[in-house]
Amino acid sequence: MDIVFERIDDQAAQLRRLMIAFGVLAMAGLLATWWVVEKGIWVTGMYTRVPWGLQIVMAVYYIGLSAGSLVISGLYGVFGKQEYKPFARIAVYVAMLFLIAGLLSILTDQGRLDRVFVEPFVHFNLQSMFSINPILYIGHILICVVYLWALFTERKKLTTVVATLAFGWAFCVHSGTGAIFGFGARMLYESPLLPASFVAAAMASGTALMILLIVGLFKATKRHVDDELIIWLGRFLAVCILVVVYFLALENAYRAYVVELREAAIYYLFDGFHGALFWFGLGIVGLFIPMFILFRRKTGTSIRWIVIASVLVVFGVLCERYVIVLPGLTHPAELFPGMTVVGSALEEGVVSYSVSIVEVLQALGVFGVIGFLFVFGLRVFKLLPTEARALNNQSSSESGP
Amino acid sequence: MDRRDFIKVAGGTLLAGASCAYAFRFLNDTFGVQAGEGVQLSGRRWGMVIDLTRCRSGCTTCMEACRVENNVGLHGDIRWDNHWIRKVKLKSKHAAGEAEKEVILLCNHCDKPPCAQVCPVQATYKRHDGIVIVDHHRCIGCRYCMIACPYNARQFNFVDTEDWLNKEHPKRSHGVAEACTLCAHRLDVGRIPACVEACCNVGAEALFVGDMNDPESEVSRLIATNAVKRIREDLGTEPKVHYIGL
Repeated sequence: MDIVFERIDDQAAQLRRLMIAFGVLAMAGLLATWWVVEKGIWVTGMYTRVPWGLQIVMAVYYIGLSAGSLVISGLYGVFGKQEYKPFARIAVYVAMLFLIAGLLSILTDQGRLDRVFVEPFVHFNLQSMFSINPILYIGHILICVVYLWALFTERKKLTTVVATLAFGWAFCVHSGTGAIFGFGARMLYESPLLPASFVAAAMASGTALMILLIVGLFKATKRHVDDELIIWLGRFLAVCILVVVYFLALENAYRAYVVELREAAIYYLFDGFHGALFWFGLGIVGLFIPMFILFRRKTGTSIRWIVIASVLVVFGVLCERYVIVLPGLTHPAELFPGMTVVGSALEEGVVSYSVSIVEVLQALGVFGVIGFLFVFGLRVFKLLPTEARALNNQSSSESGP
Repeated sequence: MDRRDFIKVAGGTLLAGASCAYAFRFLNDTFGVQAGEGVQLSGRRWGMVIDLTRCRSGCTTCMEACRVENNVGLHGDIRWDNHWIRKVKLKSKHAAGEAEKEVILLCNHCDKPPCAQVCPVQATYKRHDGIVIVDHHRCIGCRYCMIACPYNARQFNFVDTEDWLNKEHPKRSHGVAEACTLCAHRLDVGRIPACVEACCNVGAEALFVGDMNDPESEVSRLIATNAVKRIREDLGTEPKVHYIGL
């Protein structure tokens, strides 16, 4: 069966309106970033004890969302599931955009934006995850470009090679991002499980996002997509959620079991806003309810319910990214075991952090940039197929790419 | 061997040689210079001893001297104020009657500094004399060093510093990290750090800086003859600030 890909030509006015809306967001983000560059990072609300905030949360979240291409490239390019070929172009394009979003979030979080484009490449430090990761991200963006080119020009052999490379590279990208925290010497960061757990959550959120995009785009552009394809992705999402739950349980059980880490584990699980986010945002809303929906036969085979589950997972993983980054900072490093700090010129002990409006504007700005590029891509490139059918519904089948 | 083969062999050899050289340099940087047990190229290895038994309760002379000497910014908000050296008051969690204790905290100038390890642009590095320093002209302000430092010794210029108290020493723009330099600019010309000088001037003499490679130095003598402790030695960062009476 030949799959015909098309630009979206018939809804130009709506797309233009969307591009204007995203453009406005991008401008708001640009203004917020200019304000930060001009005045200093204090305007974001970050401070000595909490030097990372929403931008880093969003950076790791965006990077994780790009894993949609990992799934699609794995299904089509690596494992030869021909029926997922219709989604390959859009998955890779979106992956590229989210990697750009991750990079933009990191860039706009730097204290000296003017140095970011030169210094990291001139004075590379192989021992720093912050030095290795941009190389991984830029590498992945380039691989996505080649992958897209292979898909656009229908080069089957190259597609297989690049898809396999993208699959492996994406594992490095997501492990590397998890390692920023996993290799950090803080009680709530240090964990070799974190990179693996990060990959699992990335695959869950990436798959959920792809489900939302596929269903939404196909419906909005009145194209046909077979339910079986979405149901299978839903099942895959359910398995990813199970793996995330397993890693989270293991990590927290370890922290709660080891005497040295128990106090930190209790803080992580039960204290304040992040505790609520962990149990309700991530646990119940982001993992348990979607799992219930996806594993139950009746709801797990309903596109409407799969979409609801996907929305919840995308939200849940955002909560997960927040609870990875922030509690590790607000919880103090124990400098004097057996002692309590009762007076200091700095804030010692447990501190607080709240998201500021400037950070929200910056995050929205980055979203605006990739939203604009996404709509632009739909308008300019042949990203969407006219239809997507499951193998048994196709008139003739092909083997892998 | 034709020309094509020759180019292949020569290119391969060159690439392999360059890779080996880089790998050797990398391993040497990682495990050689940072190991700290060897003699440094400059021959010196600066370290500090803080005698808490002589440190006066409530005295902040060292902090004030440091602030003036190094133009360390105070902005009237505890969240963004910078402190290269600070005092914390400690209370035992277990012995209810035990008196509170004041401890001076500053950069430990670790022999295996995690801040330098994570710096993506090598703006933070350990000098050959053991002082951990930030190149403010290279720092991109990612704040990864603050995350990595287990001692909360890293500071960040969230706000531009208005006051320029010591015109002989630069002040930093907002957006770069900083920490105690052990007054390297003074040590390099044979002067003692500002905090040590101020402590001597008030007669407390609780702070000592010296060459830990020199067995005759005051710090070496104090380390050898007292039960000194370092903060969180278990982390393996090999801090070079030693405490008497901690």
